Amino acid sequence: MIFLSKRTKWLMSLIFALVGFMLAIQFQTASSEPELRDTRDQWEIRQALQEQQKLQQELLEQIAQADRTLEEYGEVSDAEKLETLKSSIHQLEQEAGLAELEGSGVIITLAPIFQEWEEGAPAYPTVSPSLLTHLINELNTFGAAGIGVGEERFISISPVRNVNGETYINNRPMPPLPITIKAITSNPKKMMDYVNASRSRDMFALDQIAMEVEAEQHIELPGYEDNLQIDVLELDSSKETGED
Amino acid sequence: MWLPFVFLIIGVILGLLTDLRVPDAYTDYLTIAVLAAFDTLLGGIRAQLEKKFDDIVFLTGFFTNVSLAALLAFLGVQLGIDLYLAAVFAFGVRLFQNIAIIRRHLITQTINSRKLKKNPEK
Repeated sequence: MIFLSKRTKWLMSLIFALVGFMLAIQFQTASSEPELRDTRDQWEIRQALQEQQKLQQELLEQIAQADRTLEEYGEVSDAEKLETLKSSIHQLEQEAGLAELEGSGVIITLAPIFQEWEEGAPAYPTVSPSLLTHLINELNTFGAAGIGVGEERFISISPVRNVNGETYINNRPMPPLPITIKAITSNPKKMMDYVNASRSRDMFALDQIAMEVEAEQHIELPGYEDNLQIDVLELDSSKETGED
Repeated sequence: MWLPFVFLIIGVILGLLTDLRVPDAYTDYLTIAVLAAFDTLLGGIRAQLEKKFDDIVFLTGFFTNVSLAALLAFLGVQLGIDLYLAAVFAFGVRLFQNIAIIRRHLITQTINSRKLKKNPEK
């Protein structure tokens, strides 16, 4: 290649430069992803910070509690150890919904608005699974610590299904209306306001079901009776929503 | 020999500095143009090694290849056929062929020069 004439050399160089240019643009185009910019303003950042701080506090509290439990385990007496173990089991059962739960909360009563006569026979409104799921989801969003539907305890893996036109909860049929739904929360008044203002009322009204909400200082929820089938459960690290 | 590569680097730097981005709809064209350019360059090097290099052929080859490839891609888009794949295929095959020929030439060159070094009286 030594015998390239000068003109050819420059020509080649220019073409090479062109190719390089094209290559660079191609590379840039191929590797360009939409730039992720932080467009939050001061308030939003502050809010995010607050959320993180709240999370941190929660975590710290959890750590402190775990430390306490550990300390109690470390106590010498066997009886105390057993006591601690029992109380941890009870706490876990309560969290999982296996144990009975007491506390302040709201009682929602679902009752038929009126009985419509359809070709001579009274049409009796029923709660559809989707409607019930919606209400329960709303209650959970509003921060319910435990939910009971009729005599059934509703836990995180409770199924709501439509079986032959009937609504089943925990694989048992739901009793006919009127029915009470209980939700335990630390702030029943607020939960009552939430439920009253929610869209569930309208949706139930569309199905001719009236919804009445009362705040109670003391309600009791039954425990979940069946076995927990948690073989297929996996740990979900996403944050819980709701009040507490 | 080094001049073209210096210019290649200059071109790359220029391209990176201009921060130019081709819209998504035209990426196919650019891809194929880059391929065509590569093909032409390797063809040029091969012609050089075969001592058949002609700058007019090279220059026209470069531009016609690039524009023809873009045209093919355009046609493909209009017809709804991925015609640019044909160009990618053709250029790809030629690229490999050219590289193989260049490699062989370089090997024979080095072997010849070694032989010359071993018995310089020949």
